[in-house]
Amino acid sequence: MSTAVTHSSEAEHAEHAEHAHDHGHDHAHHDLPWYRKYVFSTDHKVIAKQFMLASLIFLFVGGAFALFLRWQLAYPGQPVPVIGTLLPSQWVDNTGAIAQDFYYQLVTMHGSIMIFLVIIPLAVGMFGNFCIPLMLGTDDMALPRLNMWSFWLVPPAGVIIMSAFYVDGGYAAAGWTSYPPLSGVINSPTFTVSGQTLWLIAVFLIGFSSIMGAVNYVTTVLNKRAKGMKLFDMPLTIWGLFITAIIITLGTPVLAAAIAMLFMDNFFHTSFFLPDNLIAHTRHGIEAGAGQPVLWQHLFWFYSHPAVYIMILPLMGIVSDVIATFSRKPIYGYKAMVFAIAGIAFLGFIVWGHHMFQSGMNPLLGTTFMLSTIVIAVPSSIKVFNWLGTLWRGNIKFTTAMLNALAFVSMFIIGGLSGVFMASAPVDIYIHDTYFIVAHIHYVLFGGSLFGIFAGIYYWYPKMYGKMLNESLGRKHFYWSFAAFNATFFPMHIIGLGGHMRRIHDPSIYEFLKPIEGWNKFVTIAAIILGFSQLFLVINILWSLKYGKKAPRNPWRANTLEWAAPPHPGHGNFDRDIVVYRGPYEFSVEGRELDYWPQWEPGKSISVHHHTIVVDEKQESNAFGTH
Amino acid sequence: MDFLKVFDMLAWFPENISTFGGDLDALFAIIYYISVGIFFLTFGILGFFLVKYRYRPDRRGYNYHGNNIVELTWTILPTILFAAIGLYSDEIWERTKYSKRVPKADLEILVMGKTFGWMFLYPGADGKFGRNAHNDRSARSLITLDNPFGIDSNDVYGKDDFFVENQFKVPVNANIVMRGSSVDVLHSFFLPNMRVKQDVVPGTWMNIWFNSFKPGHYEIACAELCGTGHGGMRGQYDVLSKTDFDKWSDSKNAEMLAAQTPAPMASAEPAVADSTKK
Ligand code: HEM
Ligand SMILES: [Cu+2]
Ligand SMILES: [Cu+2]
Repeated sequence: MSTAVTHSSEAEHAEHAEHAHDHGHDHAHHDLPWYRKYVFSTDHKVIAKQFMLASLIFLFVGGAFALFLRWQLAYPGQPVPVIGTLLPSQWVDNTGAIAQDFYYQLVTMHGSIMIFLVIIPLAVGMFGNFCIPLMLGTDDMALPRLNMWSFWLVPPAGVIIMSAFYVDGGYAAAGWTSYPPLSGVINSPTFTVSGQTLWLIAVFLIGFSSIMGAVNYVTTVLNKRAKGMKLFDMPLTIWGLFITAIIITLGTPVLAAAIAMLFMDNFFHTSFFLPDNLIAHTRHGIEAGAGQPVLWQHLFWFYSHPAVYIMILPLMGIVSDVIATFSRKPIYGYKAMVFAIAGIAFLGFIVWGHHMFQSGMNPLLGTTFMLSTIVIAVPSSIKVFNWLGTLWRGNIKFTTAMLNALAFVSMFIIGGLSGVFMASAPVDIYIHDTYFIVAHIHYVLFGGSLFGIFAGIYYWYPKMYGKMLNESLGRKHFYWSFAAFNATFFPMHIIGLGGHMRRIHDPSIYEFLKPIEGWNKFVTIAAIILGFSQLFLVINILWSLKYGKKAPRNPWRANTLEWAAPPHPGHGNFDRDIVVYRGPYEFSVEGRELDYWPQWEPGKSISVHHHTIVVDEKQESNAFGTH
Repeated sequence: MDFLKVFDMLAWFPENISTFGGDLDALFAIIYYISVGIFFLTFGILGFFLVKYRYRPDRRGYNYHGNNIVELTWTILPTILFAAIGLYSDEIWERTKYSKRVPKADLEILVMGKTFGWMFLYPGADGKFGRNAHNDRSARSLITLDNPFGIDSNDVYGKDDFFVENQFKVPVNANIVMRGSSVDVLHSFFLPNMRVKQDVVPGTWMNIWFNSFKPGHYEIACAELCGTGHGGMRGQYDVLSKTDFDKWSDSKNAEMLAAQTPAPMASAEPAVADSTKK
């Protein structure tokens, strides 16, 4: 396999890479055909870029869908401005207004795309691939070929889920949660491919991809750490990804099983989730069945609650690293942070029922799940306090990466607090399935995960592409996004408390929703601004690729191992042997001139009362660590 | 000044008309005030640190790795706070949702969701339901779109059971106990003013109960995605004074009687005494 090849010629390749990034990206192996370099590559960095490209494209598809549905909510039945009449006839009526059945497809596809094709692939696929080998100081993943496949299941899944455009009835329309019987019963004979069938196939493939990636991450973290690197020398990014990978290996198979069952209900008309004597939508009854619709919810949330942590734990790690680097401070309570991640991961498996308080599940179980859910807020708050502790007495530089990381922390506080409301089962009676939930998920998934992803992109882009991103464009992107984000999603709490249900196409028919009509318009306008703000990011990424400032080896003066690699590392990553001498967060060590002390630099220190003090600093080796 | 409402989340709730709704809203308020406190505390600290410790070239960060006593403190304090919220919530949860805490019914109604509407079955003049899919599971095979409750037309107790669609009427200050289900997909029976929300699941029956102290005209909605017409699954209900309600149900009973040839008097004991249980 190619790793074997790289080992022997590691130094040579890296050397080559340093020179080659001047003239574009033509740095990789000349002994590999082009499609192995750029398409079916086993190089973890190429795979990371592939995840990034695919997911950013889907980010815009999902975002566009969101804007369509926002339009309908604010101005129900009115033609979509400008492009209304240009849209496909399945989407709009002849005046150019969103068709009612397309509205429900929009809600479903927006959620599904954002979760399965954007946040998970970015958080786990992109950062997992990019960061794990580099931050562990190794040449590649333990199982590069499996890794390649974990990416190459995603584009087909994307194509399959989107191809429902050409199917009778259009895209799946049962929500990203796909509760049966709605998702199981179709109005057509067996063996009919509907949007829902395609949805199930696509999500199954993505689950498969996740599992392959996760197996690989766990193996790599356990086996391929650089010499001298103990588990507790790993940066929190790696801890976040490692524990996420464990969650994936435990949770995703359950989703796969559930999806297989639902697929059979949907396609072969079995009845795992369908009770007897069901009157299917309008046309035909299903004969068989002693199935249980609520069973799906248990199986689905057994995966999907842990999945919300799959979507945030890697970013918690990344944000920790960014905050430590730009505060020039060690993480406050590194071990507490690791234990909090592990605690969240464990508790994450016993709280799924909080999505089901009103599902008809025995209310006795509601009590259990309420208590476990409330307990999970504890490790979350520990993390917040430790981030604040890290900022305390720092020397804080507001780079774009840092701004986004701080947005993560503050938005996560709000999202966590709204979580506590819903965790209280009696309060959840009223707010369940209203916009309050929508506000919550966007505070944690956009305010949290996506801002975390932005932070990671701004932070590692220099290592990824050898160019610096433009800071002033980055700032514009951040400020516009941050303001528009809050204007879009904060009022959703209010809309939810007004009683506005999720996933309804026309709030204007309800008397009790009149008071919040104005908010719906306000939110829509803010959402449009939010959508267009993302153009700054795209422009920045593309512009910097060509015109960006050349990145130095360690632009942020950080400590972790990826910064020991050349600016735009080639296959094999490092141009010299990596040995780890200390933990990842030795910033501002007393007795040292530089305010950082990379993991790979030799030198001895002792720890006195939680301070690190230099004993023996090998200054001469610093030449390699600095610019 | 209306603008200030933005900062008072509690002002946005629709009017509460149910006896337990006050408890739920009060619990919301408690968590809300705690959250506002935590919000200002954490954001205050965050803002303060960001200003105070902003980059200055002549300063260095502080190499400090944390302190176990501090960690322990900020583990234990939130645990106590959150556990208190949890235990206090549970008391209210048990009171409003536990099956064995459902109060004795003054009026029992069956509710059935379908795509896309709500149907309500009243026990009629005798106050008893006849055999139907709720009290006899085998009657599920009788369910059709025209007979959504699977009513057995041979059962004399069922002769006077009447049903209404997308609207119902209940007396004020009475314990209304509904048993809810669905004929097709999931729906969620949502009475915003009554602070009632319960998913209804085909094949099983859910307990829904409430007691309203305020007569008026209100709306029913569906809170669980159920298909293309989900957003339009609007219904209405009235909370009536006892006399108005009696008048309405008498007229309904009279309608039912008129529609039927006089039923033979029941000779046999009903198979089940409690009309809600098999
Ligand atoms: C303090 C921590 C948190 C608590 C206590 C919490 C609690 C809850 C509860 C109780 C619900 C169900 C609400 C309902 O449907 O009625 C919920 C929904 C949700 N939460 Fe959280 N949550 C927390 C953090 C997170 C995080 C970190 C994420 C993701 C990164 C997240 C993502 C979601 C999503 C996506 C849903 C909605 C699922 C759906 O119905 O579509 N939550 N949360
Ligand atoms: Cu959850
Ligand atoms: Cu519905």
